[in-house]
Amino acid sequence: MSTTSKTQIVETLISILGKERVITDEEVLKESSVDRFRRFEEIHGYFTQPLPVAVVYLRNKNEVAAVLKFANEHNINLVARTGDSATEGGLETAVENSIVADGSEMNKIIKIDPYNMQATCECGTSLQDLEDELREQGYTTGHSPQSKPLAQMGGLVATRSIGQFSTLYGGIEDMVVGLEAVFPTGEITKIKDVPRRAAGPDIRHVIIGNEGALCYITEVTVKIFKYRPENNYLLGYTLNNMKTGFEILREVMAEGYKPSIARLYDVEDGASHFSHFAEDKCVLILMAEGPKPLADATGKAMEKIVAKYVECEKVDPRLIQVWFDNLNWDVSKVAEERTEIMETKNISNTTEISATWDRIYDIYKTCVERIRNEMPDMTLVGGHSSHSYLNGTNMYFVYNYNVVDCNPKQEITKYHLPIKKIIVEETIKAGGSMCHHHGVGKHRTRWIQEEYGSSYYILETLKKAFDPKGIMNKGTIFPGE
Amino acid sequence: MNILTCFKIVSDLDLMSESDWVVEDHFRINTSFVKNMINPYDESALEITLLYKEQAEKLGSAVNLSALTIGSKQLDAYLKTLYALRFDKAVRIENQHDLRFSPDAISTVIANYVKVIKKPEVIILGRQSGVGDNAKTPLLVAEHLGWPCISQAVKIEPASEGLLKVSSMADDGLVIETIRPPCVLSIGNAPNSYLRIPTLKDKVNYGKKEIEVLEIENYLNQAVLEQPSEGHNITGLKPINHKRQGVVIEGSTPAEKAQNLYHNYLQERLKQL
Repeated sequence: MSTTSKTQIVETLISILGKERVITDEEVLKESSVDRFRRFEEIHGYFTQPLPVAVVYLRNKNEVAAVLKFANEHNINLVARTGDSATEGGLETAVENSIVADGSEMNKIIKIDPYNMQATCECGTSLQDLEDELREQGYTTGHSPQSKPLAQMGGLVATRSIGQFSTLYGGIEDMVVGLEAVFPTGEITKIKDVPRRAAGPDIRHVIIGNEGALCYITEVTVKIFKYRPENNYLLGYTLNNMKTGFEILREVMAEGYKPSIARLYDVEDGASHFSHFAEDKCVLILMAEGPKPLADATGKAMEKIVAKYVECEKVDPRLIQVWFDNLNWDVSKVAEERTEIMETKNISNTTEISATWDRIYDIYKTCVERIRNEMPDMTLVGGHSSHSYLNGTNMYFVYNYNVVDCNPKQEITKYHLPIKKIIVEETIKAGGSMCHHHGVGKHRTRWIQEEYGSSYYILETLKKAFDPKGIMNKGTIFPGE
Repeated sequence: MNILTCFKIVSDLDLMSESDWVVEDHFRINTSFVKNMINPYDESALEITLLYKEQAEKLGSAVNLSALTIGSKQLDAYLKTLYALRFDKAVRIENQHDLRFSPDAISTVIANYVKVIKKPEVIILGRQSGVGDNAKTPLLVAEHLGWPCISQAVKIEPASEGLLKVSSMADDGLVIETIRPPCVLSIGNAPNSYLRIPTLKDKVNYGKKEIEVLEIENYLNQAVLEQPSEGHNITGLKPINHKRQGVVIEGSTPAEKAQNLYHNYLQERLKQL
C-alpha cells in the first residue's frame, strides 16, 4: 500500500503531465471509480468503490512510462483505461489512492498499409474511427463487437475482445500482429509486426488479455481484410430447440465451413430481438462473406446443412439484416438504457462462457434452469451462442431482473453475483471456460485458480515477473488481498 | 373504479435506415422487417394506470383494470404481459383493415365498446402515435361518449370520494385538477415513459388468462372499414434533414476555450436575459 499522500501524488502527476491533464474533480473521480458492472449503483448516485486520486490523460508512450514508473516506485495502484466500455469491473478502482490512466487521447491512426494488409494505431483509437477509415479505402478490421462505437483499440486488446464476425476473422488475438506496451518499471517494449515467427513463445499473448494487470498497451497493429459487403450471404431460420441449433452449428464448423456470423438464440433471449417473426421460437443466423465465389459456396453449403433439420424454417434475410444493423451500442443507447433502468428498476446483465460441443448444451440447460428456480425477481433468463469454433462454441447468458426490496448498493450481491456464481461454477464443473470474451475483471477472480487448474502457475508467474509490486489494476484477473 | 386503458402497437421506426423507406405495393411503406413496440405515449398510459392502481389500493379503494387494443393475433403477447402485470381483463378487437390514419374509426370502435360494456368510468390513452401522429383519438373518444377529456395528462392520483387528481401540462406550467369520472385522459409527455416488466413467475401465474377477442364489425360500420384510410395516399418520400450546424471552440487550454465560449457566444446572450 502506498504511503504517498494524495497531495504528493497529484503534485507529481502534474509535474509529469501538466495541470490540464490531471483531473481531480470529484464527479470525474466518482465516474472513474466504476465501469458498467456497477451501473445500477452508479445510476442511482451511489459510488461504493474508493475514489481514485486523479484521472490522468496521457499523450504518448513516454508519458505512460513516466507515470507507470512513478506509480511503481511509490506502490500506487494504476488502472489503465481507454474507451471505458468494460463490463466486468475491470475499471473499478479497488483500492485507495489509485490513478486512472486514460489513453483515449492517444488516438492517432499511425499507418494503414493495404499492401501488407495491416493497420497500426495508438491505443485510444476508436474502433469505429479505424473501421470507418478502412471502409473508405475498401478494407475492414473484421472486428465488430457490440461496443464498436464506444470501445478503443487498447482496451479491446487488453480484454481479449471478440466481434460478431469472429467465426471467420477470429477474436482480437487472431488479428493482432504487433504491439507496443509499457511495463511498470517504465520499460517500453515493442513487438514487431511479422506474419509469424517460431522464435520462442508467442509473447503477444502476455499482453493480449492482460486487462491492465501486467502492462499498459500504447500501440496496436492489426490485420486488415478486403471489405465486400455486397457478397454477404445472410441466412436466418426459426427452430424449436437449442439442442438442434448447437448440432447445426457443430456440423457447419466440423464440415470446415467458415461463416462470418454463426448465432443461435434461445426463445427467451430471442424474444427481445425477434418477437415480430419468431414468437416462441429459437433463431439461427448464419452469414458467409468474402470473395463472391467463396461466400456463395459457403452460403449454399450451409443452407444444405440446415435443410436436413426439418424443424428449421427459413425467414426473410431482411428481418435479420435490419436487426443486425441496430445491434451495436452507441452513446444514445447507453443514455436510453440509463433512463429505462432508473424508471423500471429492471436491469439486464450477461455472463459469457465457452465449452466443447459435447458439454455446451448441458451447461446452457443447467444454468438456465438453476437461475430460474433459485433466483428471485427474474424477468428474463436465456442466452445465445455467438462465436463458434471447430471444437465448441460460446454461450452468452442474458439475465434481466427487477431490483426490489433492497438498496441499489445491494443489487450486485443480491442478484448479479449469485447468478454469475451459478454460471461460472456450472461451467467450470463441466470443463468449460468461465470467461469467453469480456475478460475476468474483478468479479470472476475468485474462481481464477479453478479456471486455470495446474496451469495457474504460469499465469501467476507472469504477475510476479512483470508486476512484482502488484500496482497494475489491483484485483483484476488476480484476486485481491 | 373501473379503468380502461387503450394502447396501440407500432413498428419501431427508429430501427429503419433511410434505404428501408421504400414505397411498396398499395402505396404503403413496408415496416414488417422491424420490431414492434407499444406506442410510447400508450406505454406511459399503461404505467400511469398501474401506478394509480397501486396508490388507490393502498388507500383501500378497489380498482379494476382493463386493457384494450385493436389488431391481429400477433398483439396477444402484449396483452399477456399486461395480464402478468395484474390487469384484470385484456381485450383485443380483431382487425385486419388499414386504420392507421383513421382516428375517427378507431375512436368510434373504442366508444362503441365502452357503450356496450357500460363499465369503465375512466378511459386512459396515449395522446398520439408515431404513425398517423394526429393526436385526435382520445379527444374523439371523449366526443363520441360525451365525456370530458383532459389532454397532456402526466400524472393521476386518487382523491377522496371516487375523485381523481389529474396533473396535466399546459403552456404556462402544470395544471392540477380534481375531477369526477367519467372522463377520458390523454397522456402526454409523462415522466414515466417505460412500462414495468413482469417477472417470469408472474408471467406463469397470471399471464395465461384468456384474452377476450371481439370482432371489429360489431363496433364499426362495414362501409367505414372498407373505406381507404380517409383518402390519404403516399405521393412521395423525402428524408428530413436532422443535421445541425456545430462550431468547434478553439483554444490551447480548457480555460482559453471557456474564455472564447464566453466572449464569442454567451456574453451577449446573457446580457439580454
